[in-house]
Amino acid sequence: MEKNEFQTLWKTFEIIIIGCVLFGILLVLYLIRGLLTPFIIAFVITFFLSPVVDYMEGEGINRTFAVILLLILTLVVLFILWELTWPTIQTEISSFQKNAPFYASKIQDSLNQAIKLLEKNTGFIPEGVMQKAMQQRIGNLTSGMGDISFLLKIVRKFVVTLILIQVIVFFFLKDGRRIKKVLIAYVPNKYFETFLTLIYEIDRQISNYIRGQLTDALIVGVLAIIGLYLFGINYAIFIGAVAGIANLIPYIGPLLGFIFGVLLVLIDTGSIIHMFKVVGVLAFVKLLDSIAITPLTVSRSVNVHPLMVIIVISVGGLLHGVWGMLLSVPLYCSMRVSLRILYRGFVEYGNW
Amino acid sequence: MSRRKRLNIILNKIRGKEGNIIPVLRTVPLFEGLAFRDLKKIELIVHERTFMPDEVVFYERQPGTGMYIIKKGLIKLTKTINEEKAKIAELGEGEFFGEMSLLEDYPRSAQATAVVKTEALGIFRPDLFDLIERNPRLGSKILMKLSQRLANRLRKTTEMKFKEV
Repeated sequence: MEKNEFQTLWKTFEIIIIGCVLFGILLVLYLIRGLLTPFIIAFVITFFLSPVVDYMEGEGINRTFAVILLLILTLVVLFILWELTWPTIQTEISSFQKNAPFYASKIQDSLNQAIKLLEKNTGFIPEGVMQKAMQQRIGNLTSGMGDISFLLKIVRKFVVTLILIQVIVFFFLKDGRRIKKVLIAYVPNKYFETFLTLIYEIDRQISNYIRGQLTDALIVGVLAIIGLYLFGINYAIFIGAVAGIANLIPYIGPLLGFIFGVLLVLIDTGSIIHMFKVVGVLAFVKLLDSIAITPLTVSRSVNVHPLMVIIVISVGGLLHGVWGMLLSVPLYCSMRVSLRILYRGFVEYGNW
Repeated sequence: MSRRKRLNIILNKIRGKEGNIIPVLRTVPLFEGLAFRDLKKIELIVHERTFMPDEVVFYERQPGTGMYIIKKGLIKLTKTINEEKAKIAELGEGEFFGEMSLLEDYPRSAQATAVVKTEALGIFRPDLFDLIERNPRLGSKILMKLSQRLANRLRKTTEMKFKEV
């Protein structure tokens, strides 16, 4: 066999091996996906807090000490916030819990009426078919919501994993660079520089996006809560928090926050004036967000065309629901930058 | 044991061991005069790489991302002139190459190949920029040394050109 032929064969073999290794890593991640949630949350918190630790380190404070100080400070701030808002949250939760069966039956009644109307007017759908399908799909809402609120279950689960997340965040912040260094030490020399640039670019894209979106969501959530509270809306914290969290999903998120707020107020009070108050507050916050907050927080974030963002989010939502919608944009950006770097390193310069 | 000696032992325990990277970093002109504390920070961004005989460290025209310091071994630098590879330098222990890539994303001007089994310390642009952001004081010291080295090289090139004229 010619030397050149052997080299081509060897390179193909190398590509297959790399592909298999990547597939293996993805498969392992998929298999242990249940254990990944605290790690993903810890990752997000680390991305959010690392600039503060970097700044403190730059000011001459030892990194370990800076991380401990920051985590204590975060816990203190969270505790103060909890103490300040807990009475209102408790009232909101108990009120929601008390009224949940009533809300659920109201939603079910409205849906039943709408379906009946649809079946009657279309003519070609046999009566009762859609109603039966809906009941199969969403079950009995009344009994589901009459139980202890699913929100409380999530909060309880979160409190249990909070300690684990704190420990992971501590080590990620303190030894993140060391961990990265150890992991990339196994990359072959030939691909090392390209891989290092790739890791750095992906890290930059994801951290900028997460930092920008989280800050934006936090400000939007707080502003919405203050606005709704001032207008005397029930569940101000609940609606504001959902609006803030939904804001993490670009373009589609704010709309979901709107729909949720309006529906909750309509079911709760049935008052059109209250509905307009919610719409007004959320619209004002969104306007403020678009004019002043987003340019400041997300400006350094990824540069993707709005249409592409909507497509990517829709595909993400279709594949993996809420997580898919939240992670689709940073994943898309990482893939885009990876392809660009790989193309440049391997194809343009011919060291494949 | 004197009080000073005891204090030194305690201080050394707190500071951590020197390891085998810091002594090599001390020999590099770019890090000349830096305190142990600063060298410890640089050590964190150093990647240890081992190259086998005839293994290419980087190719000519490949996008460069950093410099290498030779810890042990021998590196040959070659350049393609008239479609033929010409040896331009051979570097040994303590010497470094590729420092221009620390500053800009420009294709490598030569190819580096290991002559014998070579251990090298790599310092790369993304890590260096990260270090500069986190430690501007240390970053400015390194950039100052790098600029002095480049200024020196520019002066030599200018003198050579003058002599030719």
